[in-house]
Amino acid sequence: MGSATARLERPGTQAWTAAAMIAPASIVVMIGIVLPVAILFRYSLNQFTPAKVMVDAVTLENYVKFFTDPFYRAILFRTIRVAALCTAICVVLAFPMAYCLARTRSRFKNLLLMAVILPLFVGNAVRAAGWMVLFGNRGFINSMLIGLGITREPLQIMYTEFAVVVGVIAVNLPFVVLTLQAVLEGIDRAVEEAALGLGAGPWRTFRHVILPLAMPGVIAGTILSFILAMNAYATPVLLGGPTFQMMGPTVYNQFAGLSNWPFGAALAFVLMTATLLLTVTSNWMAQARYRR
Amino acid sequence: MDKHDSGITRRRLLKATGALAGVSAMSGFTPAWAQSGGRVVVGTWGGDYSKLLAKNIDTPLLVPKKYEVVHDIGGDSERRAKMRAEARLPRGTSDLQGLSAPQMYEMNEAGLCLPIDYAKIPNAQYLLTQMRYPYGVGHIYSGKVILYNPKLITTPPTSFADAIDPKHGGKLGIIDIQYPYTMMAAALGSGGSMTNYEPGKERLLACRKAGAKILPTNEAMAQALQNEEVGICIMWKARAVQWQKAGAKVDTVAPKEGIPLYISGFVIPKNAPNKDAAHFWLNEMLQPSAQEAFAEDMGYNGSVTNAKIPPETEKRIGFNADERKRLIDLDYGYLAKNDAALKEWWDKSFKG
Repeated sequence: MGSATARLERPGTQAWTAAAMIAPASIVVMIGIVLPVAILFRYSLNQFTPAKVMVDAVTLENYVKFFTDPFYRAILFRTIRVAALCTAICVVLAFPMAYCLARTRSRFKNLLLMAVILPLFVGNAVRAAGWMVLFGNRGFINSMLIGLGITREPLQIMYTEFAVVVGVIAVNLPFVVLTLQAVLEGIDRAVEEAALGLGAGPWRTFRHVILPLAMPGVIAGTILSFILAMNAYATPVLLGGPTFQMMGPTVYNQFAGLSNWPFGAALAFVLMTATLLLTVTSNWMAQARYRR
Repeated sequence: MDKHDSGITRRRLLKATGALAGVSAMSGFTPAWAQSGGRVVVGTWGGDYSKLLAKNIDTPLLVPKKYEVVHDIGGDSERRAKMRAEARLPRGTSDLQGLSAPQMYEMNEAGLCLPIDYAKIPNAQYLLTQMRYPYGVGHIYSGKVILYNPKLITTPPTSFADAIDPKHGGKLGIIDIQYPYTMMAAALGSGGSMTNYEPGKERLLACRKAGAKILPTNEAMAQALQNEEVGICIMWKARAVQWQKAGAKVDTVAPKEGIPLYISGFVIPKNAPNKDAAHFWLNEMLQPSAQEAFAEDMGYNGSVTNAKIPPETEKRIGFNADERKRLIDLDYGYLAKNDAALKEWWDKSFKG
């Protein structure tokens, strides 16, 4: 037993053990993510011809088309705007919910947590269908407004940016609440009590004590929500309709609708890069701000 | 995938076939049912179409002959993308793909379709010549007509020019996924042709400016007609018949510029695993009983001449002698060459 332990502790053996433990996950990541992304990048450098779909080439014309065409740039900026707005609203709405969940000593705490998780049991498309029932011209909201005499004609809620923002928030909110709640649970109550005891009001305690300590959760929730919103597909398609175009559906449309795989791949790469850059930059800025 | 079989699974079938092969090797005798055609995978749209394929073709005609029919359900875009993605594989995952006529042409141009061996499809002797493609077999057809609600559109339209007109404002509905057909109809109503959709663009932009509603799908249009949010649109006559049956108060008019044909059929991918079974399935698809049932259930006209459609059904779904003269087929080559450009204009200039 003693000699076996000694063998395990040798640096060479340790390295092999570590490699053996990392290998399965690395292989899965390689096959499941890196390889398809590499293939997609290669496709984005090909040329599109309607009959053959793709002609092997090494050209940047698909990227040039994207960046020189105001139509596609507008879709990217619209996507970023919607994602940023949804993320900001999600964080603002999620924080008090997560705080209450973290601090409550109620025996119904588990039930409350389940209530937050419950929407995740239903797919995005099904949830969007629920919003359609609410937002339609003959939907619940319009029927109520007309019934109460507030409006005469139905309001156009479906197929608008408003509908998409509401739909995306509904999808992302549970993720942000759960991320924040996990971090807030880890903050010692004594810290808050000390701040209050030293004369800080609730707002100062929140600003100078809770928020900085909860920052890892806020950053993680923000990143999660932003990535989900940037790549949203079902909600923009179902609630945004044909005229409200975002990047996710546009990528899909190029691949499946038009069979333009090279341009679809280029759009996917632009979306991925934009998401990555914005996420890393905002994360870096937030950390720099609260490290001071 | 939906599966329709008679309880004979592939494993059971293989076991039984293996046992019989052993017996027959010894006795020199092979029973007829051991020569089962095996499994046939049919790529198709979901919903009613898939259900009716199962009800009218798979279950009554294939399953009794010991075929296992599996439906690979999906939109045509996804299934075409899959065909392209599988093109380099020696063995694909489907034996048949249900597509519209322009899509069948497009897939064949991409070199993905097996030439049809009509010698293996005896029922094709009754197939309408327009639906006998070297690379695919037409199944059903309908024509693009004008639908309008007489309560909202008091002067009945007679042409595409009447229907796709800015004067209707927000009462005109346009289906997003029907963009090539809408552009074609607008072109026909503006002096264009099947090989030139350009003249229709100005008309469409004027309609959009006047408030025409763009709805994402056929189903959304059905709901908008039912709710009277939309008073006029263009659609396949078969769909109009279905919507009328569902209670939509709409009348149909065959446009005087011509009635563009919608043909739906099946192709066999070059790398289909069971090409013989695919040909057999196509043969059964053309059986009069299957074609008659489809006309009755779905409102589409059949593609064979020997089906006996009841006169009242024929009157409801078909076209009279004068209208038949106005049926015009699409120029598949023009569509295949220009589809990407048409869609780009639709997204950027019309919807944007």
